[in-house]
Amino acid sequence: MKKGPTIFGRRKRFALFLGLLLVVVPRAVWATQVHAEPEGLYAHQLAHAFFLVSMGILVYWLRERHLTQHRGWRYLQYAAIFFILWNLDTMFVHHLEGREDLFLTFSKGTLQAALQPFPGREWLTWAFYLGKMDHLLCVPAILFLYLSLRELIRTGYRFPRSENG
Amino acid sequence: MQLPFWPVLLVDLLGSALMIVFSILCVRLSFQLRSQDRENVVWTYLLMVSHALTAFAVSRGVGHIAKELLILGDRPDIWAALRPYSGSINTITFCVVGAVTLFFERIWRVYQQVLRDKEALQEAHEKLLFMNKHLEDLVLERTQELARSEGKYRRIFEVSRDMIAVVDAGGTLLDINPAGREMLGIPHHLTGRESALPDFGSFFARREDWDRLRERILRDCYVSDAEVDLVAADGREVNVLLSAASECEVSRKTEIFHFVVKDISQRKAMQQQLLQADKLASIGQLAAGIAHEINNPLGIILGYTQLLIREEPEGTERYEDLKTIERHSRTCKTIVEDLLSFSRRAHTKKETASLHETIEEVLSVVRHNLELDQIQVEKDFDPAVPLLVLDKDKMRQVFMNLIMNAKQAIGKDGWIRVETRFDPGRRQIRVAVRDNGCGIKPGDLPRIFDPFFTTKGTGEGTGLGLSVSYGIVKNHAGDILVESQVGEGSTFTVVLPVENEDEENAGT
Repeated sequence: MKKGPTIFGRRKRFALFLGLLLVVVPRAVWATQVHAEPEGLYAHQLAHAFFLVSMGILVYWLRERHLTQHRGWRYLQYAAIFFILWNLDTMFVHHLEGREDLFLTFSKGTLQAALQPFPGREWLTWAFYLGKMDHLLCVPAILFLYLSLRELIRTGYRFPRSENG
Repeated sequence: MQLPFWPVLLVDLLGSALMIVFSILCVRLSFQLRSQDRENVVWTYLLMVSHALTAFAVSRGVGHIAKELLILGDRPDIWAALRPYSGSINTITFCVVGAVTLFFERIWRVYQQVLRDKEALQEAHEKLLFMNKHLEDLVLERTQELARSEGKYRRIFEVSRDMIAVVDAGGTLLDINPAGREMLGIPHHLTGRESALPDFGSFFARREDWDRLRERILRDCYVSDAEVDLVAADGREVNVLLSAASECEVSRKTEIFHFVVKDISQRKAMQQQLLQADKLASIGQLAAGIAHEINNPLGIILGYTQLLIREEPEGTERYEDLKTIERHSRTCKTIVEDLLSFSRRAHTKKETASLHETIEEVLSVVRHNLELDQIQVEKDFDPAVPLLVLDKDKMRQVFMNLIMNAKQAIGKDGWIRVETRFDPGRRQIRVAVRDNGCGIKPGDLPRIFDPFFTTKGTGEGTGLGLSVSYGIVKNHAGDILVESQVGEGSTFTVVLPVENEDEENAGT
């Protein structure tokens, strides 16, 4: 016998609809704390930091377990190192993006767009300019992850049993 | 100096596209890796990392491409609307990637534990297999060993000349070997399985012996070298030396006694014989000493009495008195001579003679006497009996004593059988005198060769006949044996050795 919608089912659907409404129509919310604009950047930066730390811990564990003796795991270690570098780079770039004393931007939103550093801010402008090309770090990172997985499949890796767990 | 922004745009677009492509490829490889070993949680972990990175790459790549294209396409307003979502999703994906990555340590520990357990399980399995295989061999080997051992002990049980019996505490005979069955006269068809075997205690001549023995075994758990008398099923009395040990039988919830019983009847009989011989030798020595000392004065008394008789006229009272002294002196002299014969001190005159002739001479003397009492005499002489070097007179005395004893045992109406047998193997002649008389009581048997022992009334015998015969036979390096059953008769057997010089004169 087919069951009809229950009270609980209706409540669940109502809660889902309310959640979607809040997300899709972000207006003034009567929350207990006001979340002003800089919070988004800070949260994003903290997320990068968390990503960075987790990758650092992964490298430590891989080396601690002597897994990096195998090429597959060594590639994973390289991937993690590149992600660390990428995170540092992006954090640095996000930090500089908020500054207005470094350079002027011409023809913004066109293919002719260019940066004009303020006098004495050339190096920082150069650093920002190169840092903006962060895919030069994250693409190798994902590439090493790909290579790592491929190597692990190719060699049919078998885990050694370590005494200390 | 101006820095053109288009290389940044180019790297951003291409990089985003590559990120999306490689992250999807990574997910694909992770699936392959996981399919190689589905139970491997590390591969599952890598799959999760790949998924998280794909989410990150797709959200970021799509966001960046959209941003560049919307801005270049002069639709910054749309990007402005999408930007918060793109940035937030990016932030979330970073957190997810970081969080998933941090699971590595836990995943690794779990996997190591799984490996250890697996290894331990494998080891246990292999050990079990090995043990199982080894156990089979071991069981086989042990079974063979047990079979060998069982066979060995079964042989000991079966061929032992001593009785081996298994009895429960109540006295029920559970098992007994052939020697035991023979000793106790138990038929072979009776087995302990149907509890058809008789009670072990019932074989004891005295029931209290069994009760005491049982009590001792229960108390001390063993008994060694206990001497008891058993009575076989056919009434035979058997002297035995018995050892026993107890064992607690858990399945039966009772004590089990294991007996080893040795028949010492023959040994006891031999001991009795030795004791008898020793006793007779001692008595003989004593008798010889006395007889020797009495013989000379007795000769003088007899000589002077005869002198006085010669000088005294017949018919006077003094003459009759002297005759009485002479008669009694002669009786005394006969006794003394008999004692000397018994002690083997009397002078013997050995010569080659026929044993059969000697026996015939005796029979011819007593035949009339025997016929008067309706006693038949049967002879069964072995013609192979050779001539012997013997004191004919003394041997005649021996057979006379034996036949007269037989006559007296029969009383009236009976038979006496005299048999001779020559045993060339043992180089001995056996002369058996059998009768169907009253027999000798078992209690009297050890004493019949004692000097002056007699069962006859006063004046009927001196009690020296058999002891004199014993002395004579011993003087011929022979032996005299007796078997008797009360009411059935007796058999006296004279065993005489055949010397080489006898054999030269073989044949009667």
